[in-house]
Amino acid sequence: MNLDFTQFIPSMPYILKGIIVTLKIVILAGILGFIFGIILSLFKISKFKVLGWIADVYTSIFRGTPLVLQLMLIYFGSPQIFGFQIEAYTAAVLSFALNSGAYISEIIRAGILAVDKGQQEAAMALGVPYRKMMWDIILPQALKNILPALMNEFITLTKESAIVTTIGVLDIMRRSYQVGAEYYSYFEPLLIAGLIYYLMVITLTFLGKAVERRMRRSD
Amino acid sequence: MIKVEDLHKSYGKLEVLKGITTTIHSGEVVAIIGPSGSGKSTFLRCMNLLEEPTGGRVWVGDQDVTDKKNNIMKIRQNVGMVFQHFHLFPHKTVLQNLTYAPMKVKGLAKAEAEKIAFELLEKVGLSEKANEYPTRLSGGQKQRVAIARALAMQPEVMLFDEPTSALDPEMVKEVLEVMKYLAHTGMTMAIVTHEMGFAREVADRVLFLDGGVLVEDTAPDEFFTNPKSKRAQEFLEKML
Repeated sequence: MNLDFTQFIPSMPYILKGIIVTLKIVILAGILGFIFGIILSLFKISKFKVLGWIADVYTSIFRGTPLVLQLMLIYFGSPQIFGFQIEAYTAAVLSFALNSGAYISEIIRAGILAVDKGQQEAAMALGVPYRKMMWDIILPQALKNILPALMNEFITLTKESAIVTTIGVLDIMRRSYQVGAEYYSYFEPLLIAGLIYYLMVITLTFLGKAVERRMRRSD
Repeated sequence: MIKVEDLHKSYGKLEVLKGITTTIHSGEVVAIIGPSGSGKSTFLRCMNLLEEPTGGRVWVGDQDVTDKKNNIMKIRQNVGMVFQHFHLFPHKTVLQNLTYAPMKVKGLAKAEAEKIAFELLEKVGLSEKANEYPTRLSGGQKQRVAIARALAMQPEVMLFDEPTSALDPEMVKEVLEVMKYLAHTGMTMAIVTHEMGFAREVADRVLFLDGGVLVEDTAPDEFFTNPKSKRAQEFLEKML
C-alpha cells in the first residue's frame, strides 16, 4: 500500500477550515435540538392528550424517515415551503435540529419518568408551580441520569453531519473529497477526514465525562 | 384549622374513603391511626389535594381546598407536609433544600431565607450539615431536614405521612423528639403514624380509621384504655 500524505500538506489548511463549518452546524443544531427535545418531551408527559399526540406523530415521522431525505426535502423544498431558497447551511442546521429533537425528546422523556414521583409530590406540597418544579427539580435530576444517552446523540450528530456534503456545504467531508478529486487520489484525504472526525468525537466524549463528573457531585 | 366534611375518595370502583367528617382545630395535634389499607394516608393527602377527593369538602383555614376557584398552590404554601420517604431534593444541599421554596415560591430574599433556614437547622440539630448533600445523611437526619424544609415555608398546619416508618429503629426517636418539640410550639399537626406510644403521649386526639370509615374520634387515653369499637379493640390487640 503506498500512501503519500506529503502531497496533501498544502491542502491541509483548506480541509481544516471544514472543522469550523462542521462545528457551526453541529453546535447550533445540537442546542436547538436539545431545546426542541425538552419541549417535545414536556408535550409527551403533559396531561393534555392532544399535545402528547402531536409530539408522538412528530417523533414517528422524523425517526421513521432517513435524515438525508429530510435534509434534501428542506433544502430543495424550501422555495415551495418558505417561498425562497434558503442557504445550505441553514437547511443543514434546521434539519439536524428537527431530527435530533425527535430523538432527544424520547431520551428526556425516559429521564423524567425515571425521577422518583415523590420529588414531584414534595415540590407540589411546598406550593411550587409546575414550571418551576420541572425546571428546578425534575429536569436537573433527569438530565443527570440521561447524560450518557445525550452524549451518544451528540456524537451521532457530529458524525452524521457529514451528509451535508450532499447539498454542497463545504464541511470536512466535502473538502477532503474535493482535495481528493484535485489530486486524483481519494484515500489519503478521506483518511485525514476520518482522523479529524474521530478526534472531534474523542473531544466530545471527554467533555461529556467532565460534565458528568460535575453533575455527580451530589452523589 | 382543617375542616373535613363527608370526604369521599374512590379509585375506579375501589372506594378508599367512605365519607369522613371531622375538624382539626388550631394548635391541635391529631394522630391518625388504623390498619394498613384503611385509607389514612389518602385521608391525609386529601388535605393538601395531593389526592383529589371524589366527594365532600375540605377547608384549610377559611379556604375550601376542593373549590377549583381557589388557588391550591397558594393554600399548599400554608400546609407543610412530611413524607415517609423524605423526598429531599437530592441535587440540592441541605441549605438549598430549605431555602428553595421560600425563595422561589414566596419570593424571599436569599439572606432572609437562609436566616430562617439556619434557625430551623439549629432547632432540628443539623446546623453543621447545611452544606452537605442529602445522600450523605442518615435516615433520621434526612427526615429532620424534611421537617425543617416544610417549616421553612412557615406553614400554619403540618401534615405527617408515616414520618418514622422508613427509619431504622434507632433513628425513630430523634425524629419523634423534633415532632414533640413542634407540638409544644402550638403547631397544628395531623400525623399518620404507627407509633402508638407517641400518639398516646403527644396527640390531643386520635382518629381511628378502618375500611375508609372514621370509626373513633376520641381522646388518646380513652382510645388506648377503653376503645369503644370492636375493630379498634382488635387493632390495638395486634399492635400492643
